Amino acid sequence: MERLCLELLALSILLACCFGASPESVNGDLVIKKVENTIDLTTHLPKISSSIILENEGKAGVRSFLFAVDPTLSDTLSYIGAVAKSGDDDHKLKVTAAKVANNPKGKFFLIDLPSLLDQGKESTIDVETVYSHSLRPYPAEITQSEKQFVQFTGNSHFYSPYRIVSTTTTVNCASSNIESYTKNKPISTQDNSITYGAYENLQPFSQMVLPAAASDVYYRDEIGNISTSNLRELDDMVEVELRPRFPLFGGWKTHYTVGYNVPSYQYLYNSGDEYILRMRFVDHVYDDQVIDHAKVKIILPEGARNIQFKSPFPVQRDQDQLHFTYLDTIGRPVIIASKSDLVEQHIQDFELRYTFPKYMLLQEPLLVVGAFYLLFVMIIIYVRLDFSITRDEAREARLRIAGLVEQIQTIHDCRSALYQSYDDAINKFKNSKDATSFTSNRKKIDADYKQMTQQIAGLASKLKAENSDAAEKVTELQKLDAAVKDQVTMEVQCVERLIAGKMKKDQYVEMESNLKSKKEDLYQKMEALLSSL
Amino acid sequence: MKMEMSLESMNRYVSPINPAVFPHLTVVLLGIGIFFMAWFFVYEVTASKFTRDLFKELLVALVASVFMGFGVLFLLLWVGIYV
Repeated sequence: MERLCLELLALSILLACCFGASPESVNGDLVIKKVENTIDLTTHLPKISSSIILENEGKAGVRSFLFAVDPTLSDTLSYIGAVAKSGDDDHKLKVTAAKVANNPKGKFFLIDLPSLLDQGKESTIDVETVYSHSLRPYPAEITQSEKQFVQFTGNSHFYSPYRIVSTTTTVNCASSNIESYTKNKPISTQDNSITYGAYENLQPFSQMVLPAAASDVYYRDEIGNISTSNLRELDDMVEVELRPRFPLFGGWKTHYTVGYNVPSYQYLYNSGDEYILRMRFVDHVYDDQVIDHAKVKIILPEGARNIQFKSPFPVQRDQDQLHFTYLDTIGRPVIIASKSDLVEQHIQDFELRYTFPKYMLLQEPLLVVGAFYLLFVMIIIYVRLDFSITRDEAREARLRIAGLVEQIQTIHDCRSALYQSYDDAINKFKNSKDATSFTSNRKKIDADYKQMTQQIAGLASKLKAENSDAAEKVTELQKLDAAVKDQVTMEVQCVERLIAGKMKKDQYVEMESNLKSKKEDLYQKMEALLSSL
Repeated sequence: MKMEMSLESMNRYVSPINPAVFPHLTVVLLGIGIFFMAWFFVYEVTASKFTRDLFKELLVALVASVFMGFGVLFLLLWVGIYV
């Protein structure tokens, strides 16, 4: 392999002459002392890593250098990244697309050096490039029993605008079964090095690694759930095994949907009404993946404003949309970002900033509350509507009487409670012998009692107007009630005499039991009367 | 211009109600809500136009709808309909 590099010198010098000075000029003082190229064809994503030793032969210090992408591969370039090696530390370098005046069609990148490269100094830079769709199935169509071969066309030299002293290119293939390869001498082969060979197309199944807190995972297509999948919950991740409904041969496609929920605290940050969502733009689906086109839609809660999207790499922002789902009124803002040709190195976090007022959280429950209240109000209105054609006087009267009777019963229940209050007051008086508080208590109860009796009397007169026999029963009830009141008055007189010492204890006890039994008798009569109303 | 807040100065978002209590909240709120709703309906069908009290109807309806509304919301969240 080392023999190969010497031959490239002439070509490199030629290339160096082609690229002249321009806005982004090629510094002729920069020399590439050594390049170690590794073309990794073990997967369907060719990766070329170039370890470049740069030397500055000029007098002025150099801050950056140009990296040229091989024209045969430049259309398929998906990712480029550069790191500076200094001991064990890797320092990530800034890579920007550049134009060179003398070669407007060429694809160039300007790579910033970690520090100023002085005269006679050296720097080691590792540049990694990934190309998608640069492997061509060859032949394009096969039968099921045939083996699928692929063809890769690349450069065995290092394509650069600078003079190169030495180049080494190693090609690693996926298998040692190599159909043919270009024999640019000197050459050496060893198992699957510097050879072109077949690779396994998409594997029969692939594994997807989800965050540890992922829940409610689904894997489905148009027909429904794809039950051949498996889910394993591990400590630090959830592993989903996605097995298509059919094996995938070269060029075959499958279509499916994978979804899962993750708790918001892992990705959402907030302070007051300010929120930031930090999430991966694309997630890991399987090893050495290539995504031709990714469209990321982020649906924010209703009422989110001041939305700012920050992506780790240039993406195309589409027009924002509105999404309507359960309990939405004005619609949820949707941010759409898309990018083509993504590889594993693009799995990076984006940041989305927005403002969301706290009170908007109450909007959805209040919507449900409002809907229920509306339903109840409609019922309230409905029961008040009368659709009858004729007015049924008898029924009206019956209902009116029933209404009055119900009111009388309610008031009478309250009045019965007052009898108990009288008893309680009397008992309290017997114990405390406090005449003033007893009188005031009694007066209060008397007032309530009078009011209720009057109310019942008023309702009874209305009943009478209805010409109902219930009116007589109410009159009877009033009479019984007056009798009870008489008993209570007698009781009060007795207890007053007892406390004043005008009555003997045993005489009082006898009187009391007598009155009590009479009262019980009256209560029973009243109950019977009320239930017959 | 207001200074833009950096992510480091923010806290992780914690939902105002812990998702672990959704089932309990659902049961309690819906229980109370159904009680008041039943009371409302029973009142509506038993009361005649001479005994009806509009204020009482509206009050019972309001209480029922508040409990039912929040109860239904937490039921949706519990079953995984993230409204």
